[in-house]
Amino acid sequence: MTQTTPAPTYYTRRLVYYIKELWRRREFIWFLAMGNFKARNASTTLGLFWWVLNPVLLSLVYWFVFGLIFPGARDIIYLMSGMFVFHFTAQSLTGGANAILQNSKLLTNLKFPRLILPLANLIEALVGFTVSLGVLLGLQLVFRGFFPGWSLVLLLAIVPLQLLFNLGLASIAGRLAVPFRDINNFIPYLTRIWLYVSPIIWPLSFLESDRAASFAPLAELNPMFSLISVYRASLIGVVDQEGVVTGASPFDPGLLWSFAVWAVVVGFVGIGLFVRYEGKIARHL
Amino acid sequence: MSQQSIVVEDLYVRFRPYVERKPTLRRSIGRRRAPEGVVALNNVSFSVNRGEAFGVVGKNGAGKSTLLRCVAGTLRPNEGKAVVHGKTSTLLQLGVGFIPELTGRRNVYLGGLAAGMRKHQIDERFDEIVEYAELEDAIDRPMKTYSAGMFSRLAFSVAMNLDPEVLLLDEILAVGDASFQEKSMQKMRELLDRAGTILFVSHSLGSVEEFCDRAIWLEQGEIAAKGNASDVVEAYRRSVKTRKSD
Repeated sequence: MTQTTPAPTYYTRRLVYYIKELWRRREFIWFLAMGNFKARNASTTLGLFWWVLNPVLLSLVYWFVFGLIFPGARDIIYLMSGMFVFHFTAQSLTGGANAILQNSKLLTNLKFPRLILPLANLIEALVGFTVSLGVLLGLQLVFRGFFPGWSLVLLLAIVPLQLLFNLGLASIAGRLAVPFRDINNFIPYLTRIWLYVSPIIWPLSFLESDRAASFAPLAELNPMFSLISVYRASLIGVVDQEGVVTGASPFDPGLLWSFAVWAVVVGFVGIGLFVRYEGKIARHL
Repeated sequence: MSQQSIVVEDLYVRFRPYVERKPTLRRSIGRRRAPEGVVALNNVSFSVNRGEAFGVVGKNGAGKSTLLRCVAGTLRPNEGKAVVHGKTSTLLQLGVGFIPELTGRRNVYLGGLAAGMRKHQIDERFDEIVEYAELEDAIDRPMKTYSAGMFSRLAFSVAMNLDPEVLLLDEILAVGDASFQEKSMQKMRELLDRAGTILFVSHSLGSVEEFCDRAIWLEQGEIAAKGNASDVVEAYRRSVKTRKSD
């Protein structure tokens, strides 16, 4: 006897059913993520390397420009670590906004939990991010002779939290981008500003300077601040004036907690908004 | 299990199309509400029994595709409901879920997974799907190098080999060469023989007449005629002719 699928009660009505369906379709999520991943770079010579190359080149550009303004930002490993983490979240945000619009053909033809689209996009970005972290650790080992020890365990907490945070952001962007396509034009400016107010191109010592006096109290409210700080505590060493590693970066548990709060709030609010809207998506495409 | 496999009751769908509405921030914030929009389906009811092929005819914009999308569950109607009993396979557009840059092999998996299959089920069926599509030589080439016929053969083959109990088809028979069309007809007859159900939207009146048991004729979102397929097609033909002679 062949299986009988239940009649189309719309997914949004039953949360448990929704999650089960997502799980049942995990292979689809993976194939979609990897398919897009391959297709995106299929026609370039360097292919998949662009995933790593893009944030590396971006880091080099900022290193070149801002290293002249902020002496502390000459630490390329510091800059790259922030840039990679930021790039992962920014990619999820941009991709989430596009995920629904680009897959409109899929949406109008097949029934599946729509959260699959931002999820596949998130997985795709995660693969690139994982590779770029490997590159970061490799570069640090070669140029600084430093490899983190037990602090790497922090990744087990911070990576899942960032995933939740990113999925929340992607869902909100996807939710808003369907009825208001203007959002897509706006997002690049938003991420640009976010990049500048996050501790990526400027060193933490900048917050103690007079120039930053009015900005400093707000800086730590930025979820990217705590996120990047935890990653750095896990991955990179602190260097002195001569560029010699003097030890691992200090870890402040308060920052991990503060990001955890951000991740849970943004994550669940975003997913909730998205799932509640699901039934209307096809009508708005 | 009930005899009816598709039940559509009092379906009502209204669109407020994007292009007309221009939902910029100004519009959304402003008080002014958009006009009523377009009624795509109004008061549509019918049911299809197991083992039956059911046709839907009508001119462009009559609501045929909207109806199919409601039955497929991708579009939520404003009012009424569409219920399907059984594992459903949809072919509303060709190559849904395919990524042209990837190889045919990878797209067989993508298409099957998108339609709700598990990977191991596709593994088992893979050779059959490729053989049926007559693409043994081209399966490892990127799909963007395929001809339109090859593309649609693969799409059809994936959909038919999902073992559907209910098949929703939109204008699909016009694809492939004559021999492949014959093959797809045969595959659909097999489906009917094992008590499957087919809901079939087409402009090709001949194939509706030949293939379907019953049919409806949609006119501006409402049912203009319902019943025996050849009668409905005949009525529709007459109306097209009268309109032309006017």
